[in-house]
Amino acid sequence: MTMAGHPAAPGEGSPYGIPSRKLAIWLFIVADAATFGAMLFAYGYLRVANPDWTRPFAFWPTIANGIVMTAVLLTSSLTMVGAVIAAQSGRKAASLRWLAVTMLLGGVFAVLHLREWAAMIDEGWRLFRNPMGGSPLFGATFFGITGLHLLHVISGVVVIGVIANGFRRGRFGAGHVETTGLYWHFVDLVWMFVFPLIYLMNVR
Amino acid sequence: METRQSPGMKLYVIVWLGLLLIVGVEVVLTYAHLPVGTLLASLLLLAGLEAALGLLYFMHLRYERPSLFWSLVPALLVVLVLMDHFWPDALRLMHQRLPPP
Repeated sequence: MTMAGHPAAPGEGSPYGIPSRKLAIWLFIVADAATFGAMLFAYGYLRVANPDWTRPFAFWPTIANGIVMTAVLLTSSLTMVGAVIAAQSGRKAASLRWLAVTMLLGGVFAVLHLREWAAMIDEGWRLFRNPMGGSPLFGATFFGITGLHLLHVISGVVVIGVIANGFRRGRFGAGHVETTGLYWHFVDLVWMFVFPLIYLMNVR
Repeated sequence: METRQSPGMKLYVIVWLGLLLIVGVEVVLTYAHLPVGTLLASLLLLAGLEAALGLLYFMHLRYERPSLFWSLVPALLVVLVLMDHFWPDALRLMHQRLPPP
């Protein structure tokens, strides 16, 4: 029934052939991509316009840590694909196992990231303080962009946990697992831009 | 709801390996002492390739109706292109830099 109380026209379906929740997550992803895009553009502007932009990252430990984090996140996308395929083919136990591995990998990514932040904060980096004497805006863009991404990762791990629990109890279906997977892949995709632009472009 | 049949896990593993390989190429290029502009262009190109692989395969866009792709992706690209208005000002500031004392 529509809101006006009239039944939907016979044969009327989704214009894209997908459920509403999937379309909704796609619209969210486009909006969120524009948000990250704006932050990365702002970072680029500041980097070009600042005469004393700092390039603080050495291969060890920062870039090496970043490579591991990237590999972990990419692998978590693969395990999420496994969860979606298993859910869609009715293999609930396998799907739950894949979801658990995805959460674990998301947790590993968050721990590695927080460890890196802690080391930088120990060195004197803050949102608006640069211990190397260059532009203080490096900290603002680094912590701002990676912090927003980390928030997405942590939220994603929590959401996967909630969906997995509902899926186990039969409250959620394979469609919910797929929708969660789309969000998780998006978080991975954003990192594919954050790692080269924020880390690799700032090696010593 | 109609969604075209998705491929098996084997294809996804190949895409995952390809993505890991691209990350490796990015790191190698970073330490190849390229000019900053060349490095930036290369990294952006490779990141775009990774994004395309992620969207088409992991996010299954290749197997949805084309109308979904054409409704979402061009709109996002237009938004990102519109943000390029800021570059002339950043470049102006870069060229106004004083020589080091």
